[in-house]
Amino acid sequence: MSGAESPTEPGTETDTHVERESFVGSGLERVEDHRILTGEAEYIHDIEPENTVHMALVRSVHPHAHVEDVDTSAAEDHPDCLLALTVDTLKEEYEPMPCGLKGFEEWSLADDKVRFVGEPVVAVVAKDRYAAEDIVDLVDIEYDQLDPVVDPLDAREDETLVHEHFGSNVADSETLDFGDVEGAFEEADNVIEREYSWGRISGVPLETAGVVATYDPDHDAFDIDCNIQLHTLVDDTIYEPLGYPPEKVNLEVPPDVGGSFGTKIAIHRYCTLAAMASQQLDGRPVKFVEDRIENLQGGDMHSSDRDYRVRLAYDDDGTIRGLDTWFVDDFGAFPHYPVNQALKPLSVVTNAYDIENVRYDYEIALTNKTAQTAYRGFGVPPHLHALEMVVDEAARELGVEATDLRRLNLIQPDDMPFRLPTHNIYDSGDFPAALDRIEEIVEEREVCEGGLLDPDVVEQKREEGKYRGYSPTVHIEPGVSGSDWTDRQRTDKDALEARDREDVSELPEHFRIELMEDGTVQSYLATDTSGQGHQTLVTQLLADGLGVLPSDIEVGYLDSVTAPTEYGTAASRMAVMLSGATEGAAQKLRENCRKLAAQREFGCDVDDVVYRDGGVERADGSERLTLAELAELDSGQKNERLTRVSYDYEHPTTSLPEFDEALTRKFPVYPTAAFAANAPIVEVDTDTGEVDILKFYSLRDCGTRLNPTIVDGQAHGGLAQGLGAALMEEFEYDDEGQPQAITMFEYLLPSTKNMPDVELEHSETPSPFTATGAKGTGEGGMIDGPAAIASSINAALADQGIVADQIPMTPHRVRKRLRDGE
Amino acid sequence: MSSESSSQSLDRPTEELTLSVNGETISTTVEPRLKLSDFLRRECGQRGVRVGCEHGVCGACTVLVDGKSTKSCLTYAVQVDGAEVTTVEGLATDGELHPIQEAYHQEHALQCGFCTSGFVMATKELLDRNPDPDKGEVKEGLADNICRCTGYQNIYKAVDRAADELMEAPSDDLSDRTGGGE
Ligand code: FES
Ligand code: FES
Repeated sequence: MSGAESPTEPGTETDTHVERESFVGSGLERVEDHRILTGEAEYIHDIEPENTVHMALVRSVHPHAHVEDVDTSAAEDHPDCLLALTVDTLKEEYEPMPCGLKGFEEWSLADDKVRFVGEPVVAVVAKDRYAAEDIVDLVDIEYDQLDPVVDPLDAREDETLVHEHFGSNVADSETLDFGDVEGAFEEADNVIEREYSWGRISGVPLETAGVVATYDPDHDAFDIDCNIQLHTLVDDTIYEPLGYPPEKVNLEVPPDVGGSFGTKIAIHRYCTLAAMASQQLDGRPVKFVEDRIENLQGGDMHSSDRDYRVRLAYDDDGTIRGLDTWFVDDFGAFPHYPVNQALKPLSVVTNAYDIENVRYDYEIALTNKTAQTAYRGFGVPPHLHALEMVVDEAARELGVEATDLRRLNLIQPDDMPFRLPTHNIYDSGDFPAALDRIEEIVEEREVCEGGLLDPDVVEQKREEGKYRGYSPTVHIEPGVSGSDWTDRQRTDKDALEARDREDVSELPEHFRIELMEDGTVQSYLATDTSGQGHQTLVTQLLADGLGVLPSDIEVGYLDSVTAPTEYGTAASRMAVMLSGATEGAAQKLRENCRKLAAQREFGCDVDDVVYRDGGVERADGSERLTLAELAELDSGQKNERLTRVSYDYEHPTTSLPEFDEALTRKFPVYPTAAFAANAPIVEVDTDTGEVDILKFYSLRDCGTRLNPTIVDGQAHGGLAQGLGAALMEEFEYDDEGQPQAITMFEYLLPSTKNMPDVELEHSETPSPFTATGAKGTGEGGMIDGPAAIASSINAALADQGIVADQIPMTPHRVRKRLRDGE
Repeated sequence: MSSESSSQSLDRPTEELTLSVNGETISTTVEPRLKLSDFLRRECGQRGVRVGCEHGVCGACTVLVDGKSTKSCLTYAVQVDGAEVTTVEGLATDGELHPIQEAYHQEHALQCGFCTSGFVMATKELLDRNPDPDKGEVKEGLADNICRCTGYQNIYKAVDRAADELMEAPSDDLSDRTGGGE
């Protein structure tokens, strides 16, 4: 599709563009790689200004307790101790951290009560981390233990409260009806009701959180380097607790971040503590790097943890008429910012199915566990799991193939763009074709002699107690989040009724370019990155947009003060937003170059100047200026320079009336619907309960593929995380509220031993809503992988009547179900 | 609160240590509890050594000690007294990527790159030991390293590509590129 063509600029006829091979659409090698491969990359761990001192945290060992006394005297007597910071100083000099919902107050160090194991109580600073950890052991804290609140379902009624003043362990709840739900459930031939659960998992990036904060006493301001995600959007979580205005707190994210997957948006506690410590030490740089145990047990980085009850109303002919989902999400000790991930599933509430009547009902429970953050998919994976499980069970009840039931209810290509009952719109796609194709692939390659599903082999394996199966599914990846809806939970719900379209503001993506006198192009991203190859993407687009070579382009980053507030890297957003911003900026620069040449050098009409091959020419070819010459020509300019442009790419929904209703009512708005049809082939060992994925077939469509290599990389990585979620990963707690997975020996991540061969195929349905036709693709495999794997497990174990009703389906759980089923 | 003036550290014990890091001999005194990973990063400037878990599971800190892949977070610096240590910095020569590094680049076998040094070093050991591994051997050889981004598919391809490259390369060229100065 358009991937292989040069971009054209509608409406600028004189803006003739070079005819040459396009970098966009090719799998350009990444510009990030060289520095990483040679050890020269700069991660936060590598940043250490002269004189840096190191912070360590004293953390609660109890899930729920009153802090009776904190004695730091022995710690302070340690000759290497520079500072022991307690909540008393925080309360005298600083402010609490913002919470995701009104009515909660959280200090960077526990105040009065500890509410989860791992909650920081005291921060100590010493000359190196070894000494700081020695000093941690010298802090003496006296606790009065309280009963822990552990089970989220019980928590709702529990008399013990995580936050006494709030009066309830339910931080927020809402019931939303779309269509005629009652009618659908009354009139349908059948109603099925089931329960499912999704365990606490998270991104667990290989690099932990880290910060180096320096207070500048001369300017009474802070410089903070940290690997936070969305540094221009969530900067309020840092400047507010410090009690400073945004322009006094300069956040910078290093060019290299060792993964985030959403989880690092909530590392502000560390940033504020390091900054406060630096201020207490008159501006000595303070560094903190979380260790892995801190990260896993109390790093504010777990994600969705849900118990579902789902009802489906369907007729005898298989038509699904209504969907009713209720769930409780265990948010842990504080409802942090991503409370809105309880709502994101509304944007894909019926997945690829056409279901008119939907009820969505949730409760956010508070317990004595570490608080939630965002993770790849932002609350969607558990929803898709629950939905697909109930569809599988409805098919069993009806006695039909699950695939047939799915096919019957899929949204048809003619219905695109498709409006969901919850008001979000799917832009484009052919879901039935995707389902057919993935089925065909497996039939052809595996359900044949010598294939994994060779009927003889399947039979023989069965006799050995190994059950093979697969069940194709189609899943939507909602992309390019709007931002306005994300504070629905902090908004007066009644006021939403009267809300006007004019009240809605969506954040654009910002991008800058400057021509340098040596002919190179300097550009700036306003967003941080963590391995997705943003620099490469921008380089490709600029090379095409300006007719230069990738080697002539430098891509840098703006800090939080210089950059306007951006949404940044989130919600499968960057390919779409950055490509829109880069193309827009390149076009603006080309126009400016023509103007500059016409006015200052050629003395002709702008229309008589064309931009071509990395320079401008008079239309008759008589004169030419290179980019270097243009930059030089512009350098004497006092006012606005023409060779320096910035551009804001508006969020796609801003100008699309289709989204008006969702926007004004603050329902999740995701203007791109990338999708995948998956067919993982699983084998369940009925002796051990182990689930082995033998091969993973996936057909994926993310619209125009700007860089197919990166698109594939995202798919592979997402599917690996999806596999981990489905089968291995979980932050379990015991009945006393003690976390059980605090090392990587207990929190199991997929390794080469678990990851099967993945076979990808692509289709390309460009988005009609985005500048480049790209759809988001960053969260894909994690969104669709777990539900796909669970459906295949259901197929493999259909004879036993077993359903993968609990994620992760660990060997222990599979065995238990096999035993119970006997 | 104690302040800057308390610079008289507790007398921490120290031990002598001599080793070679990427071909350079280093003699110094360290605390016996100093991890090799911290020693290499902080005191030898080899910051390509990454620490992801510090308890021996993720493999990000993998370096070669006398040619054998070793988790530097589970090793004390004093334990490698007299050894030859190679880190990812020891692979490229004169700005030219080692074939393993080049293969990782070509196959997009890295995203955030935090695991990459460890994978590259594990690959080095694997291919030194077994120049032509089959898929199962590649998986086995890299099973001690975790990558959270790539899903491993491209890493398998990179190892294959590197194996091909290295088998074609003239052998003296090869020893040049192994670093470690042997
Ligand atoms: S840091 Fe050494 S194995 Fe993870
Ligand atoms: S590339 Fe990020 S952990 Fe491997």
